[in-house]
Amino acid sequence: MTTEADGRISQFRKGAVELAILALLHHGEAYGGEIVEALASHPGLAISAGTVYPLLSRLRKAGVIDSLWRESPVGPPRKYYRLTPEGSAEFEAMAKAWEGVAGAMDTLLNKEIVR
Amino acid sequence: MTAPQRKPGPNITPEAAGLIETYFARVHGAMLVSAAGEAAETVDELRAHVMDELARTDGSPAAVSRILGELGPPEALAAEYGGADGPVPGAAPQDAADPRRLHGRILGVPYELRMPTTARIASRWWNPLDPHVFVPRVFGLGWDINFGALAVKLGMVRPDDEDEPFATVPRGWMMAALAVPMALSAAVAALLALYAAAWPASVPVQWSAAGEPQSFWPRIAVIVYLLAMSVLPALGAASSYARRRPPLNRAAGAAGATLLATIALAQLVQTILTLGGTPGMWPTWVGLSTAILLPFAMLTVLSRIGRAREQRRDLNGTRKKEPAR
Repeated sequence: MTTEADGRISQFRKGAVELAILALLHHGEAYGGEIVEALASHPGLAISAGTVYPLLSRLRKAGVIDSLWRESPVGPPRKYYRLTPEGSAEFEAMAKAWEGVAGAMDTLLNKEIVR
Repeated sequence: MTAPQRKPGPNITPEAAGLIETYFARVHGAMLVSAAGEAAETVDELRAHVMDELARTDGSPAAVSRILGELGPPEALAAEYGGADGPVPGAAPQDAADPRRLHGRILGVPYELRMPTTARIASRWWNPLDPHVFVPRVFGLGWDINFGALAVKLGMVRPDDEDEPFATVPRGWMMAALAVPMALSAAVAALLALYAAAWPASVPVQWSAAGEPQSFWPRIAVIVYLLAMSVLPALGAASSYARRRPPLNRAAGAAGATLLATIALAQLVQTILTLGGTPGMWPTWVGLSTAILLPFAMLTVLSRIGRAREQRRDLNGTRKKEPAR
């Protein structure tokens, strides 16, 4: 695959990862390592800690999520992330938009286009 | 790509035709800036699209406005073809050497010719969110150390320990960080006051690995050089404190001043020992090691203090009673 094609794939993955993080946090709060692990279990997202932490920082600065230290039962305190009310609304909107995009892409990728 | 064959145009009013011409003149003009190679073909293609759409309408100015509105503002449309938000598809990679660019890569090695700013220095030297330990140099050719990434790799901090780097570090600790380069600069000045008057006219400034002097400078030049390397960065760091720069900038300023003052002190001690007849290069090696370790330790300790403060805030604060997982 060409570098150019890699770049394009990387671009649309980046957009998807933001929604993936919001989707994870929609199910409940999680700490950084937990988010990285959960997303890394989906090889299609090709995600690493180096992608997740800057994105978490950006989302927190944007007011979409917030963070809070909590005691951990198995070690030092951990910083947990959760959706803010604005983040929940943004997640709902993004998820809805994604459904439309995904449906359209499924159709385009799987069915013969009738002109 | 071949330009589509122009179809017979729909029956449109002169006013509608004027709208179309004005729109595509603006698209073409903007594309000459952003994607010149594609401008003519792209405009032809878009114009054909507009004519196709218009053929299904009454050709009125309102219909033209609606169709052009769907394409968006002309400049934004042109930018979509590669000007504003990134390279034109198929263009040379960003890291290709280009004499017009002040930063980029040459044969894979990063270069940076823009004047350093405290914000850029700070974000390169302490960015635990970036997993890369070696990052493009703040100024010049090569790499700097991202102490934040190094601390993460050594397990001393976590990438997201602090919401804003050093923002919750108490003022006393921040001032203590500034005191380090100040003390080192004072040591340089004190040693110069004690020893420099007795130096010969030419003073060694470069040594072989065995400690043999290899090049010499006039005494006054060495004094000025050592003072400038230690005192000026310390004053710069103090200035960022006085001007209430962001905490990250202040901490990085103190760390940078510490690095330079340590190197100056090491060179001064090396000079004093050489002129006193003591062989060896140990002051240089110890100094260079310390010049890396001291700023690293300073930034890591400050970050851990900031993390502890954030933890106390959250764990002892009003949100303490929320259930832990």
